[in-house]
Amino acid sequence: MAGFIVKRLLQAIFATLVVTLLVSYAIRMTGDPALMLTQGAGSITEADLVRIREALGVNQPFFVQYFGFLRDMVTFDFGRSFLGGTSVAVLIGGALPSTLVLAFWSMLISIAFSIPLGITAAVHKNKALDQVIRVISLVGLSFPNFWLAIMLVLVFSITWNILPPSGMSGWLSYIMPAVTMGVILMAVNVRLVRTTMLETLSSQYIMVARAKGLSETKVLYKHALRNCAIPLITYMGLQFGGLLGGIVVIERVFNWPGMGTLAFDAVGARDYPVLQASIMVLSLLIIIVNLLVDIIYGLVDPRIRTE
Amino acid sequence: MKRFLKNTAAVAVIALAGMGAFSSSSMAAGKLSVSVALDPGSWDPIDTFLVAWGAVGSNLFDGLTERDTNAKLHPGLATSWDVLDDGVRIRFKLREGVKFHNGEPFNAEAVKFTFDRLLGDIGAKGPQRANYTSVKSVEIIDDYTVDFHLHQPDPVLLTKLAGYGAMIVPPKYIAEKGEDYFNTHPVGTGPFSFVSYEPKVDLELAANADYWGDKPKVSELEYRFISELTTAVAELQAGRVDIVEDLPISMLPVVKGDGKLDVMSTTGPAVYGLRFNTRDGITADVNVRKAIVMAVDRATIIKSLLAGEAEEIASFQSSLSFGNDPELKPLPYNPEEAKKLLKDAGVAPGAEVQIDIRAGNPTFNEVVQAVGAYLQTVGLKAVIKPYENSVFLNDIVPQGKTGALFQQSWGGWTLDYDNTAYLLYHTGQKWNPYGSDEKLNAMLEEQRPMTDVAKREVLLKGIAAYIANDVLEMPLYSLKAIYGVNKRVEGFVPAPDNRIKLNTVSVKE
Repeated sequence: MAGFIVKRLLQAIFATLVVTLLVSYAIRMTGDPALMLTQGAGSITEADLVRIREALGVNQPFFVQYFGFLRDMVTFDFGRSFLGGTSVAVLIGGALPSTLVLAFWSMLISIAFSIPLGITAAVHKNKALDQVIRVISLVGLSFPNFWLAIMLVLVFSITWNILPPSGMSGWLSYIMPAVTMGVILMAVNVRLVRTTMLETLSSQYIMVARAKGLSETKVLYKHALRNCAIPLITYMGLQFGGLLGGIVVIERVFNWPGMGTLAFDAVGARDYPVLQASIMVLSLLIIIVNLLVDIIYGLVDPRIRTE
Repeated sequence: MKRFLKNTAAVAVIALAGMGAFSSSSMAAGKLSVSVALDPGSWDPIDTFLVAWGAVGSNLFDGLTERDTNAKLHPGLATSWDVLDDGVRIRFKLREGVKFHNGEPFNAEAVKFTFDRLLGDIGAKGPQRANYTSVKSVEIIDDYTVDFHLHQPDPVLLTKLAGYGAMIVPPKYIAEKGEDYFNTHPVGTGPFSFVSYEPKVDLELAANADYWGDKPKVSELEYRFISELTTAVAELQAGRVDIVEDLPISMLPVVKGDGKLDVMSTTGPAVYGLRFNTRDGITADVNVRKAIVMAVDRATIIKSLLAGEAEEIASFQSSLSFGNDPELKPLPYNPEEAKKLLKDAGVAPGAEVQIDIRAGNPTFNEVVQAVGAYLQTVGLKAVIKPYENSVFLNDIVPQGKTGALFQQSWGGWTLDYDNTAYLLYHTGQKWNPYGSDEKLNAMLEEQRPMTDVAKREVLLKGIAAYIANDVLEMPLYSLKAIYGVNKRVEGFVPAPDNRIKLNTVSVKE
């Protein structure tokens, strides 16, 4: 198990390096941050620009800059934002927990609803209840998440004024962003639970369990669900990456002070240090979650551990 | 008993709060919340060039001069000034008895420190210095008198001293706490003092009871960073934000339809137009340019697409700008004449005209669609090509890679036509990729060092007329500065730029 984790960690580091290299290179193709910083300024001369580029360190060759960035990462000095010179570590330290908490609640909402709904649909296959759940899931899937977000704001913030339309202040402000993300994830997961459940329910050991005279609840939740868990965990792990992508949009609509907002603003401002660091943190996060998924596999399915 | 205790406690709290209010500020009460689109990341005046900084900075800091909501200059931290030695020396008398929020006195030393810093190594790292390069040095005459020595006369300098990089900063505080600390814990002399700052979330300020000007009427002032305007408007509707700046035209019906809110607007400095590629293609011919302008009904665009929240312009400046000539009239809307001009110039019907614009401004996008439709009516085929903002500003326009027309928009915070015209029309300037006109260059250079205000105004008007005659652009409109304001806010006067001092504003509880 330890060897397996070490191997995966090394792979993770390699993957992170590749991602940061690509991002660092790509953002430098969008243009000059010195021009961006001086956009509103009256008369800017080439000498001014040269001076600012020097101060930002973007006058050096790409690989010098990139290795500087790696050195900063290793020493946990994440550098400084081009915009205002704030420490990148401080910015990420503020943004990462906001995003993680939002991701957690979104996943929780999705799991809490999708498993019972998916199982119910599978048990009542092709009956009215199944149809209803499938339609609900289809509707959920077809919502663009930003649209759902705006609709929620219209109803709960503007018409009824019971939830804050944006920002992160108190538990009430978590409801709309988490529900928006959660509903989209749920819609996918309901279908997944239903399909895997149907497959499992038709297997022979379920027949055996029923033949033994076990109660239907026991059959479903003890025997069937546990065997459904492997594809579900894999899928939800993969979903986490998509979730972080979706969070960029949701964070923007709800003005959530998370990693999505941070990265989005950094792209607009050509703020290389902030963008590089936030993409690195996000990709590390996805890699870690996938690693966790692999480890959980082992716990859920002993056959994988021995392989 | 419980109730008694609760009531006593409540009374005590109110009494204490009252005392607190008395000791800190005689009348200040209530909290005002303003949404700002971007977090500048640093509150040091020399670090950024964002309008968002300007909005907040005007309440934290003061300059030597001050500009009111009518864009008129007034004494700020300087009570008077004299322009000496043909404009290369300006003597300022400083306001006495002013203190920074940390208790440090404001004096000549603070002014010298501010400009030494701006023009020295620390200022060199930031974008602000470029605006103040006409200043050679600041000399202390006595505690409350300074002389500014200039490299050459700078007629716009007094205006520039009212904002951004010229805001006066506290020398001792910065020396003791360091530059980094100052970035996130700003101290100035302004009507509000710093309380807390959470990056990307908000900045909280408190009334400065010792303020030298009108004492603030609200005790707390919060700036919330909300980048999506629709989100900011939702916050306004929910009553959690009191003022939203730069309301987009498309959101006006929403705000106007809400009984709790008001739309307030005033003539702003921002101007929009389409510049011609005068070097290549059919637009190299002045008569074709004239025809294109005459084909577009600008008044109708303003009335129907911009909800009347804009004004027609004849040159590329708003009516607030120094150098604007109200007598100068834009080319009339006359499609018949336009068709004739095009025919005489030998432009074949269906000729393609490419219009390059910046993506991401839905209002201007609609305007350009309308322009395209008008061009169709005189037999031209408009092709609109949107670019990502920074690509457009850095790689398309300055490199001379545009189509026949391209978006030209300008903020013009100094409200002086020189600042616009020189950068847009002088040979070799970044925003002038195609033109090279010796006569125009000479006119632009002549007015620059001139200290005779009246004479300079005549010259600037001449420049505007010259450009209009040569049809270098299609001036479209000057957009008003539009604010969404909660009706509980009293005493708010919309300002042309976002730099509004909020000390005269109060809120109804």
